[in-house]
Amino acid sequence: MAQEAHGAIYDLLAVRGVSRRDFLKYCSFVAAMLGLSEAAAPAIAAAVEKGSKLKPALWLNGGSCSGCTESMAQVDSPDVATIVLEILSLNYFETIMAAAGEYAEQNIADTIAAGGYLLIYEGAVMTGEDGNTLLVAGKKGIDVLQEAAEGADAILAIGACAVDGGWLYGYPNPAGATGVQAYLDKVKVKTPVVNLPCCPTSPEWVVAMVVQWLLVADDDPATFLAKTALRQRTYTDRYTGQNVTLNYPEYVVGSTIHDNCPRRGHFENGDFVTEFGSEEEAKGYCLYKMGCKGPQTFTQCPITRWNRSVSWCVASGAPCIGCGGLNWVDNGTPFFKRLSSMETGDTLGYVQPGSVGAVVGGVAAAALIAHGLGTKAAGRMGDGPPVEEMKVYDRKHGAKKGGDK
Amino acid sequence: MARAIIDPITRIEGHLRLECEVENGKVVDAWVSGQLYRGMETVLLDRSPEDAFYISQRICGVCPISHSHASAQATENALGITIPEGGRLVRNLLEAAQFLHSHILWFYHLTALDYVSPVNALSANIADTYSLAQAAGTRPADFGAVATRLKAFVDNGQLSIFSNHYWDHPGYVLPPELDLIATAHYLEALEVQAVANEIVAIIAGKFSHPMTSVPGGTAFVPTVEKIDDILYRFIRVKEFVDTALIPDTLAIAPFIIDTAGYGGGVGNFVSWGVFEKSGLVPEERYLPRGFAKGLSVEDVSPDDVTEYVEHSWYSSKSGLNPKDGETKVKFTGYDENAQYSYGKAVRCKELSTESGPLARMVVAYLREKGGMDVAGGAEGVRTPAALIDSTLEALGVAGKPEILVSLLGRVAARNLEAAYIADLALVWVNELVAALKGGDAKFWEGSSKKDGKGVGAWEAPRGSVAHWEGISGGKIDHYQVVAPTTWNIAPRDAGGVRGPMEESLVGSPCVDVEKPLEQLRIAHSFDP
Repeated sequence: MAQEAHGAIYDLLAVRGVSRRDFLKYCSFVAAMLGLSEAAAPAIAAAVEKGSKLKPALWLNGGSCSGCTESMAQVDSPDVATIVLEILSLNYFETIMAAAGEYAEQNIADTIAAGGYLLIYEGAVMTGEDGNTLLVAGKKGIDVLQEAAEGADAILAIGACAVDGGWLYGYPNPAGATGVQAYLDKVKVKTPVVNLPCCPTSPEWVVAMVVQWLLVADDDPATFLAKTALRQRTYTDRYTGQNVTLNYPEYVVGSTIHDNCPRRGHFENGDFVTEFGSEEEAKGYCLYKMGCKGPQTFTQCPITRWNRSVSWCVASGAPCIGCGGLNWVDNGTPFFKRLSSMETGDTLGYVQPGSVGAVVGGVAAAALIAHGLGTKAAGRMGDGPPVEEMKVYDRKHGAKKGGDK
Repeated sequence: MARAIIDPITRIEGHLRLECEVENGKVVDAWVSGQLYRGMETVLLDRSPEDAFYISQRICGVCPISHSHASAQATENALGITIPEGGRLVRNLLEAAQFLHSHILWFYHLTALDYVSPVNALSANIADTYSLAQAAGTRPADFGAVATRLKAFVDNGQLSIFSNHYWDHPGYVLPPELDLIATAHYLEALEVQAVANEIVAIIAGKFSHPMTSVPGGTAFVPTVEKIDDILYRFIRVKEFVDTALIPDTLAIAPFIIDTAGYGGGVGNFVSWGVFEKSGLVPEERYLPRGFAKGLSVEDVSPDDVTEYVEHSWYSSKSGLNPKDGETKVKFTGYDENAQYSYGKAVRCKELSTESGPLARMVVAYLREKGGMDVAGGAEGVRTPAALIDSTLEALGVAGKPEILVSLLGRVAARNLEAAYIADLALVWVNELVAALKGGDAKFWEGSSKKDGKGVGAWEAPRGSVAHWEGISGGKIDHYQVVAPTTWNIAPRDAGGVRGPMEESLVGSPCVDVEKPLEQLRIAHSFDP
């Protein structure tokens, strides 16, 4: 069979009618997601094709709403069937797997025993009531996480809840929620974790990271982090009391929503929406005065957009509520009030680790994505935004001190 | 005597455990346990009402729109806001898109694998598959390509999400050709549910977790172009409902007709009502508010709700209406004779009560038979009674609506509801176009009030959702939620009366306690 020559993934893509051309086109898309140049596409294609087996993965739900699973079902390219059937062998995926009960649990045990798998974790880590706020098959959720994390090659903590506890972490955090990295630091599990922000997270970001992992994991799982262009943020977790350093992909958090917002021109011109459902909204004016957290929120939402790039929050008429930030509920509420911090284009707490600019599969990184595709580069209009006037407006409307820190 | 345990129940939102006492091949007792506590109601305190709109929807990533609408209505009720006509229509369309997404996803991706075996589909004869599809009036696909694709997948030896299920259970009785049709539609439905959610994204930014139905109406202002984008997607989804979801249900039903004989449960039904007509009267919604006991219907109000915690992991006072309710968590260990769930035992009119599509369709059916114009005279809409009567006739049980109170009835009711909603969505798009043409469409209404108490009682795809809110000085000082699945997975109450899912399990056959397929089907029929 051709399997020896090309590998299972290539064969399966061929079976479902994905042409070589379409496949390379998709690899170019992934290259762009990863912040690489078009030249990286053949390297990605080669890496995907050489795999003779599907990559085993466990998808665990902690204190979740299944919104990130739902988000995955809205993935654009490849479609979700491709992910499920042709790239990963999702041996455990609570929301969509066929098996139930102890048969399902057996899949976790078998996968851990075999090793060499990717762990995808959705939802908060539940420590409240001595770890009993989440029970799965008679075990504490935190114990299931620890066991699966210890044996994994790498972990993707997807969505705000997995990153730092999300809304559950909001004061007074009655269920004792925390994030994956914070909890693994506490129990001294060293498996590398990459965080993907937002509530829910973007399926396109997950796909890009899965491909990234496919590219490097076969060679040396330990270098997964070193070979990925990352930014780091450090915060003090209220549950562990420890400083926690989170790794994010550069391509997701490299610039603010405000920097890339299609309504940025209206901000510069001082054209604002001041009431929901108004004529100004029909014209697509800036939502800054409605409390938009775009200037403080570092995600790629305006570029990736949502639901197969159909729309995103601001395009539908709603201000960004900053769900891509840390402790987003406490920091962002009241959502319709502005934060007084007006910094734009700064990195607000993000630092680039030493390894940044390192390369994927030996291909030179060309960090084109964030600024190159943004409206920021398209030039400013008029004399710039009426900053002083807006500061007066903010003070009058009870803006909250501080920013997304 | 033996115990059949499914922990965790997969293919649901959340974490659920099910335990059944089995005697002589039948379930004689059952316990259903919610296994996760997150603390939403406490997190919301001391925040602004519009913050609750954004945060409380995060209770559920599958039905966030319904939660957000219940939350917005609680605030509007508390602050005396009447949403304008444009806001009403946009919310109906948004809610409809989510319902269609959810019902399609539920049937093909969450419960179908309890009846359909993709492995068995491998032995299908392709020519016979086309003949069967034609005879069943269901949607053709490239069945040969699907079979090839399945074979390559199985030959590779890694079954991914299909691995290690009860595939050898005798309950998988469909002919391989029907398995292949359903598997082909499983794959196509992945695409169609995503199209339904593109409507959500156009109106509300993204799915999961919508952004625009803020208290007062909607932040979304439709343009002609955006309405066009919405309309063609609704047409596409409706076509799939009519050519796959409904005929597939009817094609599968005769093979599993035994499921019409069990799984009915308590036979008490509540619907808060969903999809507003002009005038915003809950009793007159397109799926109207009501309470049905067997086949008689009466009025109901959120004041009829009581929550008990004798068998739940809470130290709060028991027997409260949520307007005075509290949520103080206290885990005491799993013990089916004492406390065994994070779910509270919610009761309506002091009765263990089912909510969801079966409840809504029963209430609507009875109201319609009682003379109500449920669909508001909208043209081209198949009403709940028309859909139910024609289905009963197709299954050879015309004039016997009581047969709906069963496992099969609960499955069918959800899909029939999808057909009704798909019809209505096109009507609302046209109404929105007319409103825009009239030039007086308004979408949002504010209020300067800072104090009040309110309740928003609405419906999610899987059940009745209500949010109770108290606002003082512009801040939330009370918030309680009775979520859709809380009704159905309720544990025993103070009197030891079982919850609806528990009761529906009692009396069901259990062929193999190691592989309790029938019980998994019943649990999934509630779409918990």
